[in-house]
Amino acid sequence: MNQRFKPAETFRRDFTFRNSDEAVLRFPFPFPEDSYMYSVNIEPHTPGGPTAAFQAAFDVDEHYVAECAERAIVLEEDPGRCKVLPHMMAAQWDTLELIMESFARDYPQDFSLTKEGTNWVWENRPLGIKQSFVFGDAKTLPCEPFEYITRQAQGDFTLQDQREDNLFVDGGMVTTQADWSLEFNIGMTFHEWHGPVPLAHQLGVFDRALKFLMRLQYGQPVRRLNWTMTINPRLDTSPENYPLWGTDRTTVTPENVAEKVFLRVELQTLFRLPRSNAILFGIRCYLLSVADIARVEKWGKRLHRVLLDLPTELQDYKGLTRYRQTVVDYLAPLDDGAPLPSGIAPGQTAL
Amino acid sequence: MSGADHLPLRVRETEMISPLLKRFVFEAADGGELPPAGAGAHLRLTLEGEGRRWKNAYSIVSAPADRSHLSIIVRRVSPSRGGSAFLHEAVHPGAVVAAHEPGNLFPMSHIARKHLMVSGGIGLTPFLSYLEAIEATGADFELRHFCRDEEIPIFERILSGFDAGRITIHPASAPFDLSQALASQPLGTHLYTCGPEALMGLVLAAARDHGWPASKLHSESFGGAHAGGLPFTAILKKSGLKVAVRDDQTLLEAIEEAGLEPDCLCRGGACGVCLTSVLEGEPDHRDHFLEGAESASNRSIMICVSRAKTQNIVLDL
Amino acid sequence: MPVSGIVSRPTYEALAIDPAGRRHLFVADHAFEPDPGVFAALPSEAPVELWRALAEARVGSGAGPRANALARDFRSTTQLLDALAYRLERERVGLRLYAVGLESFVWDVARLARGLGMDSSEYRLSHVGSNRRRVYCVHCRAITENVATNVVACSGCGANLFVRDHFSRRLAAFMGFQIDAEAPGEVPPIEEAFP
Repeated sequence: MNQRFKPAETFRRDFTFRNSDEAVLRFPFPFPEDSYMYSVNIEPHTPGGPTAAFQAAFDVDEHYVAECAERAIVLEEDPGRCKVLPHMMAAQWDTLELIMESFARDYPQDFSLTKEGTNWVWENRPLGIKQSFVFGDAKTLPCEPFEYITRQAQGDFTLQDQREDNLFVDGGMVTTQADWSLEFNIGMTFHEWHGPVPLAHQLGVFDRALKFLMRLQYGQPVRRLNWTMTINPRLDTSPENYPLWGTDRTTVTPENVAEKVFLRVELQTLFRLPRSNAILFGIRCYLLSVADIARVEKWGKRLHRVLLDLPTELQDYKGLTRYRQTVVDYLAPLDDGAPLPSGIAPGQTAL
Repeated sequence: MSGADHLPLRVRETEMISPLLKRFVFEAADGGELPPAGAGAHLRLTLEGEGRRWKNAYSIVSAPADRSHLSIIVRRVSPSRGGSAFLHEAVHPGAVVAAHEPGNLFPMSHIARKHLMVSGGIGLTPFLSYLEAIEATGADFELRHFCRDEEIPIFERILSGFDAGRITIHPASAPFDLSQALASQPLGTHLYTCGPEALMGLVLAAARDHGWPASKLHSESFGGAHAGGLPFTAILKKSGLKVAVRDDQTLLEAIEEAGLEPDCLCRGGACGVCLTSVLEGEPDHRDHFLEGAESASNRSIMICVSRAKTQNIVLDL
Repeated sequence: MPVSGIVSRPTYEALAIDPAGRRHLFVADHAFEPDPGVFAALPSEAPVELWRALAEARVGSGAGPRANALARDFRSTTQLLDALAYRLERERVGLRLYAVGLESFVWDVARLARGLGMDSSEYRLSHVGSNRRRVYCVHCRAITENVATNVVACSGCGANLFVRDHFSRRLAAFMGFQIDAEAPGEVPPIEEAFP
């Protein structure tokens, strides 16, 4: 694979983030049907899938270097965005091992890992890192192992401890989140964590998802897609900084809607970690502007239909209330109402 | 996919620990690193004998940190025509056996302030990996092991590498009494027990009697990690097929083997996608999806994990 | 933005003893007098203790709730929690802990108990008294105590915090977020919500 990284992109202030044509076509578009409701839409996380975003255990794309730089900025301002409770040290090493081995296997030209017993050498060429350390000895790394490796990966991560017939969110690196707070949520059970999500509880979605995840097996990771919308390509839409980005939602006009409103998709992956028996939850965020979505005929029409009849509770929960109609109005002329094939693949190979 | 054995292992060495106990040390057949396995994990081997096939699970006894090898200790069950006798007699150094990646149904607690382990006989095996993990972290522990009087020296030898001051071996001939140990553990102690059902029953009952909450009691019946099933026949009404489901495969796998591709997603009994109507016969529900009345009506089945209680089951497929 | 029906909000059962416990310790943030019926399920020899924080400088030991019960009164909840930490450090499996009082107090007890190895099956929480909330500002992390209204000025950053039903057991607090972040100055009518 030939990786092209775009180091100069920003996700704040001047927002220079852009998607190349290749990045548009590999976007994990989240709507296989014309309407949307919660479900336990979990499938095996095996390489392959409808777009290139599903090829690797942990996807590395053209925004890799810029996203790592954005994460460093957030942590500089607010170190509490990475926090792991003390009993999760085994899970920290499991995470480091899993991500390093996956990166080195899936992107050998960018990453390599050499081992001699517990003496490991990690090379991350896009970020210019070469680190020798002793696996299992946190003193040999510049910071704790979970923070060390998730500073070098795209997307947020949380660690779930399994006990008392439940999963507890006992750690995380959360800098690119869709409006939830690690500091507030750390230590919560699965249901407490998902407490604010409307409708899904009544559908039994979380009961089933929890039962399923408790039985997740090592070597058989799973994935699902989740989505919301964001104004400007802003990764840090945290509740902590809501006073800074909340006003963005009032700035959408018919003139700027296509460039300013982004579909925000989370490719969520779940891995059973082998030694700790914890679960690593990856929440990889992809942003695609409404303008770019409309360049893919099937996606533009489908997004229009999904937003048109989205239940009010979900509009409120996802924060779309102020600008949903503007997006619908922009997309309406592009939708001829013709039936669309189900599935999320773009249905075209060029733009 | 979920049932596949994609981990070929080569026997590096074997050791007779006693006339009935044999240690097997495996390495990756391709010479590479093995997948990591946590304390309490088991290895499921697929053993191919002459005209027979066994899928047996054994606790991994080697240190969780070490990925160069995986070790198990196998007790020869006698009289036996089963997998343990096959392992003892027919699997020698150099042999390659198929395994499933390590799974863990008996993990240690990470928030425990102390680990109290109570084992019986070969039920000691998961605690050998616990002890390795405890040694690495320095956690507080206590081990009480019960065994036949004549096997005491054997287990003393197996445990000789660990802190003898915190290990007690109880002869089976002495009266069972754990009251003192159960009444004196600091808050935050977790109790783990593995061994014969009767022993585990006594341990858990005594612990409850001393006020231990269920959340701090953990048990694993050895060999029971993967409850199999009896063979049965699925009759697929729409496609007019008769599918024999073997003891070592799921209903879904048998249907797929017959050439059909029913809708399915998680293959773990949770998502509900493979829900299928039952026209005749009684399902043996093993899923986490159907609830209460839906499950009791026996009119639907999750074919990825559930089986049949009746010899035949007729499905709307 | 305000969303209702959040299920992370704790619910409380009426105070009931767990007869599976071997020893029972009640802690309260007020002059709690348990109904003797509470103990009916226990064998008469089961040890029971009652600790109370009375917000009063001149406390001594009062009479226990029943013949073999020990009672201990404290001057403040701070003093009580301090003594509880010391006690739980030395306790054995088999203890059951019962906390009775304000929501912030009972969750402070729960946090202490969890930190010393107890889990939710070994303690029971009973909320009595006012419904006032402890509010955590998600923006500046300051805590605002005794909140009775739907919107409150944060004690740390002064933001107009809307008090959500989202509850953190670790912080023993509800989440507050700035209600007028999208449209500065647009604050809903302030009303008493948690009397």
